[in-house]
Amino acid sequence: MFIQFFDTLREKGIHVTLGEWLDLQEALDKGLCGGTLTGFYYLARMILVKSETDYDKYDMAFEECFKAVEHETEVGAQMLRWLDKSDMMELAHEEARDHLNRTEDLMIDKDDVEEKFKQRLKDQDSEHNGGSFWIGTMGKTSFGNMGGNVGGVRVGGQTGYQSAFSVIGARKYRDFRDDRVMDNRQFQLAFRRLRQFSSRLDIPESELDIEGTVDKTCNNGGYLRIQMKKPRKNAVKLLLLMDSGGTMIPYSSLLNDLFQAVNKSNHYKDVKAYYFHNCIYSHVYKTPECENGDWVETTWMFRNVDSDYKVIIVGDAAMAPEELYSDTGNYRGPNGGLSGYEWLQQMKRHYKKIVWLNPKMAPGRAPWREAETACKEMFPMYKLTVDGLNRAMMELMAPKR
Amino acid sequence: MAKEFQGTKDYVASEQLLASVNIAMALQKPLLIKGEPGTGKTQLAQAVADSLGKELIIWNIKSTTKAQDGLYMYDTIQRLYDGQFGVEGVDDIARYIKLGKLGEAFESEEQVILLIDEIDKADLEFPNDLLWELDQMEFYIHETHRTVKAKHRPIVIITSNAEKELPDAFLRRCIFHYIDFPDRELMEQIVRVHYPDVEAHLLQEAMDVFYAIRNIHDIRKKPSTSELIDWVNALQIGGIPTEQIKKELPFIGVVVKKDEDLEIVRHGGLN
Repeated sequence: MFIQFFDTLREKGIHVTLGEWLDLQEALDKGLCGGTLTGFYYLARMILVKSETDYDKYDMAFEECFKAVEHETEVGAQMLRWLDKSDMMELAHEEARDHLNRTEDLMIDKDDVEEKFKQRLKDQDSEHNGGSFWIGTMGKTSFGNMGGNVGGVRVGGQTGYQSAFSVIGARKYRDFRDDRVMDNRQFQLAFRRLRQFSSRLDIPESELDIEGTVDKTCNNGGYLRIQMKKPRKNAVKLLLLMDSGGTMIPYSSLLNDLFQAVNKSNHYKDVKAYYFHNCIYSHVYKTPECENGDWVETTWMFRNVDSDYKVIIVGDAAMAPEELYSDTGNYRGPNGGLSGYEWLQQMKRHYKKIVWLNPKMAPGRAPWREAETACKEMFPMYKLTVDGLNRAMMELMAPKR
Repeated sequence: MAKEFQGTKDYVASEQLLASVNIAMALQKPLLIKGEPGTGKTQLAQAVADSLGKELIIWNIKSTTKAQDGLYMYDTIQRLYDGQFGVEGVDDIARYIKLGKLGEAFESEEQVILLIDEIDKADLEFPNDLLWELDQMEFYIHETHRTVKAKHRPIVIITSNAEKELPDAFLRRCIFHYIDFPDRELMEQIVRVHYPDVEAHLLQEAMDVFYAIRNIHDIRKKPSTSELIDWVNALQIGGIPTEQIKKELPFIGVVVKKDEDLEIVRHGGLN
């Protein structure tokens, strides 16, 4: 029976290894779960799940295996489109939490919850954005003692509900990581510019300077005198934010080149890459597919990817005006109460150095491309060509004005 | 299991956290603790040590820390100096081998608690460099051809602020626990551990403000538990009438540390 749990976990995207699984068996042999379902829930989570962002997936798998709940996908396409909205995500969230709670109480009739869920879906005859009934109902659950909610609080923010709903119908984009062999040497050379200026670093002198030591020792009449120096190391940290929206598809091979170039230039101290869809809102995605749930909060990014990172935004800045200026402009995910424009402003405030690379930039101020002009005003924008990349890299390395 | 960790009177832990400590001990695996700053990750090790009556060895990780630093250091420079001045025993390399924190924990005559604090501060490769040592609880000193093996397997607690992603190979070997930010109920207990006779009404008001600030979207640095505790203390010492707390936000600088955040809080962010 447990092997099914193993399979389900892997299905949900938690890469449980055999070693971890055996550890769980050992723990069970030792009776560490205390013979309760709750005990087992926490025990297995501790051993199998290694990131709080995966807690939600774990909850799903757990629910599926131990209550044998099947999420039927008999909902129509229209419903799916509603479900893509955040408030509906919360509804789904809430239902699942509810369900899990009662699972714990072991008093629940599975059909009852399913019935209720279906009923509510049926009752809702229109798209429900910003309705007060759905939002805010997600109270704290009382699973476990001492106010621990089941995977409730996540520092990465409320990770979305990775249910079948949010995955089905999501458009699959080509993965930029696709390992194709290609000649992107020119791009790589451009990225090398980010190293050129990085010798004057604020790092401790931790390497023995052999020549200096010999010199000083000789000057010291043969008595040893140590000379240390700074290690030659590139301290440039790079944050890559890539647009993965529909209008970017024609450029996917260009973006692929760019991504490969960054990946191959392994001389950076750190490289982080996130993706967005059309514009940056409250969440940035971890993969180019931009699936809801597989993301981190943009504010989390601000906290964890500090302001010293040099930021390269790659995108065509072809948002519709409302996608940029409206605080409900994000049509496929949460807005976080701010418009795309305001999120971009926050980016600008947080990071010291940002450049925008645009594969189809219009020359000068293009009045017919309002969003692009607005982005140009915020960030130095360059066309995504070898030349543009070179100039962008120089801008990134230039001292702050 | 010889002893179980039950929490101490100074440290309020959730049941899941207690369980995770005990499970990590039973399975003899390192316990990896993550959580927001100020959720008491570091204090946990101290509490475990107190509760089990064991010695605590703290290895503080900095951005320049290398895995080798925790094992041992061969002080070549001291040896060179000594050689120059003809100090006795220069030919004995072992004299110049200094054990790091991990080595200390291995060599200890009794089982100890080893806290590897803020492991994510170090280089990306750092955790991988420790895999063997934490697995086998031994390492080899090349200079003296000696293997240092743990006499008693230390209880290893590792904390992380999620600044960097940790490598998978490392994560696989750990027991993981994420400390949720305390809810009001737990928070009240925590504050009362520090100030048992804080006035109930004052605490409620302070917590209202505290959680409201945490909920403000724009805030750059969310205040943490320790800041609330300091604030409650300041309010008590200052003798501030309870009804002023929400209106005037006295000593708010204790809670909110960044200028921009102060602006936001002062200018109606709390509504």
